[in-house]
Amino acid sequence: MQLYVPILVLAVLAAGFAVFSVSIAPFTGPKRWNRAKLDAYECGIEPTPQPVGGGRFPLKYMITAMLFIVFDIEIIFLYPWAVAFDKLGLFGLVEMVLFIVTVLVAYAYVWRRRGLDWD
Amino acid sequence: MTTHYLVLSALLFAIGGVGVLVRRNAIVVFMCVELMLNACNLAFVTFARQNGSLDGQVIAFFVMIVAAAEVVIGLAIIVTIFRTRRSASVDDASLLKH
Amino acid sequence: MNGTIPAPTIEYGMLAPMLVVFGAAIVGVLVEAFAPRYLRSAIHLPITLLSLLISFVLIVWQWVEGVPTKAAAMGAIAVDGPAMFIWGTILVLAFVSVLLIKDEGHFVGAAAAVPGSAEEEQALYEGAAHTEVYPLVLFAVGGMMLFPAANDLLIAFVGLEVMSLPLYLLCGLARRRRLLSQEAAMKYFLLGAFSSAFFLYGTAMIYGYANSLDLAEIGASLGVVGGQDMLLYIGGAMIGVGLLFKIGAAPFQAWKPDVYQGAPTPITALMASGTLIAAFGALLRVFWVALGGLDWNWRPVFYGVAILTMLGGAIFAITQTDIKRMLAYSSIAHGGFLLIGVIATGSAPAQNTSALSGILFYLVAYGFTTVGAFAVVTMVRDAGGEAWHLSRWAGLGKRSPLLAGVFAFFLLAFAGIPLTSGFFGKYAVFQAAVTGGALPLVIVGAVASAVAAFFYVRVIVLMFFSDPAADGPSVVLPSRGTAAVVGLAALATVVLGVFPQPVLDLAHSAAQSLFVR
Repeated sequence: MQLYVPILVLAVLAAGFAVFSVSIAPFTGPKRWNRAKLDAYECGIEPTPQPVGGGRFPLKYMITAMLFIVFDIEIIFLYPWAVAFDKLGLFGLVEMVLFIVTVLVAYAYVWRRRGLDWD
Repeated sequence: MTTHYLVLSALLFAIGGVGVLVRRNAIVVFMCVELMLNACNLAFVTFARQNGSLDGQVIAFFVMIVAAAEVVIGLAIIVTIFRTRRSASVDDASLLKH
Repeated sequence: MNGTIPAPTIEYGMLAPMLVVFGAAIVGVLVEAFAPRYLRSAIHLPITLLSLLISFVLIVWQWVEGVPTKAAAMGAIAVDGPAMFIWGTILVLAFVSVLLIKDEGHFVGAAAAVPGSAEEEQALYEGAAHTEVYPLVLFAVGGMMLFPAANDLLIAFVGLEVMSLPLYLLCGLARRRRLLSQEAAMKYFLLGAFSSAFFLYGTAMIYGYANSLDLAEIGASLGVVGGQDMLLYIGGAMIGVGLLFKIGAAPFQAWKPDVYQGAPTPITALMASGTLIAAFGALLRVFWVALGGLDWNWRPVFYGVAILTMLGGAIFAITQTDIKRMLAYSSIAHGGFLLIGVIATGSAPAQNTSALSGILFYLVAYGFTTVGAFAVVTMVRDAGGEAWHLSRWAGLGKRSPLLAGVFAFFLLAFAGIPLTSGFFGKYAVFQAAVTGGALPLVIVGAVASAVAAFFYVRVIVLMFFSDPAADGPSVVLPSRGTAAVVGLAALATVVLGVFPQPVLDLAHSAAQSLFVR
């Protein structure tokens, strides 16, 4: 049983945090009303209008999706390293930093050339 | 035991290959190529299991990365040509012939 | 949880030429990100040329120090005689191609703008330019260096893709005839991805057979592993498909004319020389080091492929009416001639050396002539851009004899007339094939050469003995870059045709060590 104590503690902490956040929000948070608040799925942003009748999506969706694919999958190389980073030692760390720097270069290009702007 | 996976991988590769040859939409053709790459990944992982070495799994990572880069470049090219011609059919793109 | 994984030893010194090119490419991306638009081109050009130059100097230095005889980076990349020779050749040709690329007006201002749209007008008005071309070229050149040096099938696959992916994009960036250019990019991309899937599946099968991707270990496992020959045969065949596609050998040649025609001409020059050289290096390495013990199986196949490629390339070239397509078919035929050299290899090291040095010399000679020929194509222009149709070239010899003369000289070199570099290239390869016992192939090669000579001469006759059209194309005054390219290519073609010995010796000493195992 001793083994499960940390999990129980974690569960209690998580539940406490959730209850605390929800109950404190009405008192501390600002109150603004807009359409997004009334929508079924609410994440705080008004949804971009959907094309009518299954029409075509604007191209900006594709650019975002493509950037996501590339940067998301590049990071896959971090997983094997993260599992064994202590065994790989300094060499592994240096190689990973080099790898991340290269990815950052691509990221800087995308950012500077306004690939991340929605409009 | 690993034979089944190899057969599945060969089937996927064949489906992808036939798809590339018979489908007419560039996007679908491209998806078929991706299917072929994933068939390769399945084969790699299966052989890694069969041979008891980890290399195959690492290779699968590399293949995924390369495939992702290929997806992005391919989609960029196909979308550009679609915007120009309003069609992604590989049959419509037939200006280049003698 | 204890114990450490030993860090791999990586010979950075041996890999330095490649690392310089890739490093410069990454710097190029940073320039794209942070430099203002009007400065980019001015920054890119020195970086690109300098990195190619430094890389070349590093290779020469390493060559003088002594050619390494073992594979670097834990056996993943073989920096041996042939690899270094190929690297040097690719770097020089890339340098020359960059001089051609830097000329204004070959590349589109905004590739994403639809042709004929207001967006495009706007981009033209603002003087937009895709200076990304330079980093892309550097990435492609880096891939071209990695591909033939890869001593591991996975590295070869990565090299193949690093080489091809930038080229797919570059193909679609022509400023004029953008529909053709985009179509070429799409065809090249779809077929290239298809073929690399074959290469990869072959790799998977070989991995299943040998439990390794290291070429030397695969070679050692031939005949040792029992009962799984089918995997080996399928794997070898599929890898062969992938590599022959990149060369543009006969059943897989369909992409070449379309792509060569549609791509911006400087990029065509880079592809026609660099990609072919890199792909031949990789083909030789894979089929000698890894599958050398299987040569009874692949040799007859290559025999057929070579015949089909030579005759197909030469015969289809006759029917072409477009100068770029004609050069593309000629490139296919030359791929076939080079395949003769691959078949000429035998069991004796001396025979292998002479075949290999013949191929290396041929690649140098062909590369220079090709870049020169495409450079000439960029200079003959109509109102709508380059004049591709052969009928437009009629009478060019009367209007600008110098240019037509140089082009005729390149064509004669393609045909393999004595006193041009092409002659010694063909001679070296054919001679190796005769001593290697592939006499029938040499006869077919000679016939194909004769057929090829017919259409080269036809173009020369057209240029010099036809009346020029009234509204014929104008020959633009070349920029210094283009003039230098044409001059250099012509010079190389003459020098290699008159004094081939130094380069032949160099190729021979590069081939001496063969490929490291």
